[in-house]
Amino acid sequence: MEQQAVLAIGIFLITYAMIIAEKIHRTIVAMIGGVLMIVLGIVDQEAALHHIDFNTLGLLIGMMIIVSITAETGLFKYLALKAAKLSKGDPVRIMLALVLITAVGSAFLDNVTTVLLMVPVTFSITRQLQVNPVPYLITQILASNIGGTATLIGDPPNIMIGSAVKELTFMAFIYNLAPIAAVILVVTLPIFVLMFRKQIQTTPELKQSIMQVNEREVITDQTLLVKSLSVLGLTILGFFLHQMLHLESATVALAGAFLLLLLTGEHTMEEAFTKVEWTTIFFFVGLFVLVSGLIDTGVIAELAVKAIELTGGNPVATSMLILWLSAIASAFLDNIPFVATMIPMIQEMGNMGVENLEPLWWSLALGACLGGNGTLIGASANLIVAGMSGKEGYPIKFVQFMKYGFPIMLLSVVLANLYLYFRYLL
Amino acid sequence: MKMVYEWKPEIVDIKETENGKDIEFSIRVIAEAYYETMKAVQQVFEENDVITDVFLYTFPQHEYRVIVRKDYYEDFILQLLKHRLLTKAEWKEETH
Repeated sequence: MEQQAVLAIGIFLITYAMIIAEKIHRTIVAMIGGVLMIVLGIVDQEAALHHIDFNTLGLLIGMMIIVSITAETGLFKYLALKAAKLSKGDPVRIMLALVLITAVGSAFLDNVTTVLLMVPVTFSITRQLQVNPVPYLITQILASNIGGTATLIGDPPNIMIGSAVKELTFMAFIYNLAPIAAVILVVTLPIFVLMFRKQIQTTPELKQSIMQVNEREVITDQTLLVKSLSVLGLTILGFFLHQMLHLESATVALAGAFLLLLLTGEHTMEEAFTKVEWTTIFFFVGLFVLVSGLIDTGVIAELAVKAIELTGGNPVATSMLILWLSAIASAFLDNIPFVATMIPMIQEMGNMGVENLEPLWWSLALGACLGGNGTLIGASANLIVAGMSGKEGYPIKFVQFMKYGFPIMLLSVVLANLYLYFRYLL
Repeated sequence: MKMVYEWKPEIVDIKETENGKDIEFSIRVIAEAYYETMKAVQQVFEENDVITDVFLYTFPQHEYRVIVRKDYYEDFILQLLKHRLLTKAEWKEETH
């Protein structure tokens, strides 16, 4: 192996270890890792820039702007309160309603944004019912990762896969992943009830008090609500039609974001730009450059060869290997760097003669998204909810989450495994 | 020392009860000029980084249930004073 390749592997492994250790913020670590790849001459700046997937970044930035403006209207509070009233104030039914809102929200917004919007509302409802918020928060974490699996824009791994593989359009993700995501959600709902129903009991008086709340009062700005919902609807329609319109998903998201800013005025722009999670954006930039070092030195190609040798190029074995490896790895590592590494490896398998890559892409998407439910560190949404909950005096412990999350993750990956086998590999 | 407060009954009616880690208020805004005031109070607590400090629930007839975490009790009272729903707030020696 060339010296440059050894150096690239060294930088990559040290960076990865430091991301896992979480002693220094992952964005700083990823960016320094990426910069080192350039400084040490493993990739030049021009090549590094070519490896940065601006479609992923544009899509994330665009959606963050749209959602931050929409959140100002009180829409998400309204939806949660309406759901609580439709549930007749029953804590178990409210838990399921919030799970469904989170899952659908995570499918059409990214799941980090969705949980950021859902956590305050959850605290508000559970405080009124005087029940423990933790079961609600745990089930919402699980739902965000399941719901995010369903679409191209639902979860960062899918955004990355959709950006890297042009044939995998928004509709292709829905057509191939939404059915299994829906099945997994339906299967897990009764399990959530069995897991938590005894922990969330309340009194008839408190149920009644929820029924009397005036949910319309939480809508703060009707005009902004109409503008936000119109643009959000147009943007989602744009995603459905992006292939027909010959537009990348990032173009659709950014067009939606700046149309909304045009409609809401300059004063909204400053605020919206501060809500963009620039730390996440630069984390992606660092990772793309970091992985480019492995691509340009032939390390990824070498890994692809080893994977093909291991499975004998058999499509069933390769798919299952990717699904389970992705799920287990994503449970214990952040799934974003893992997917950033796996994408070029699967592309390399295509260059080496593996003909039908589609099941491999779906295996990676399902494994990485659903694997995020395995532990508290499996996905960014998990950590964000746990952080917010802990700060409010309701810590979610690693083992406590794993007790619920890991079995749900295994069950959902088994269902995904059966789905992949019968739909693509039989 | 305990914070005590006063209000004009023609503007607002306030009931306060202790509930574990929280203090619960039942507030009815009577004067039309103050109908939007509770929203302004709510916004103050929504704009900080703490989620569970103050929860405000709106009911018909300008009635509100407010659940205030004990460590935010004084902050909440001072906001009511600032928004002129209270006429007076002061520290009093507790008599046992």
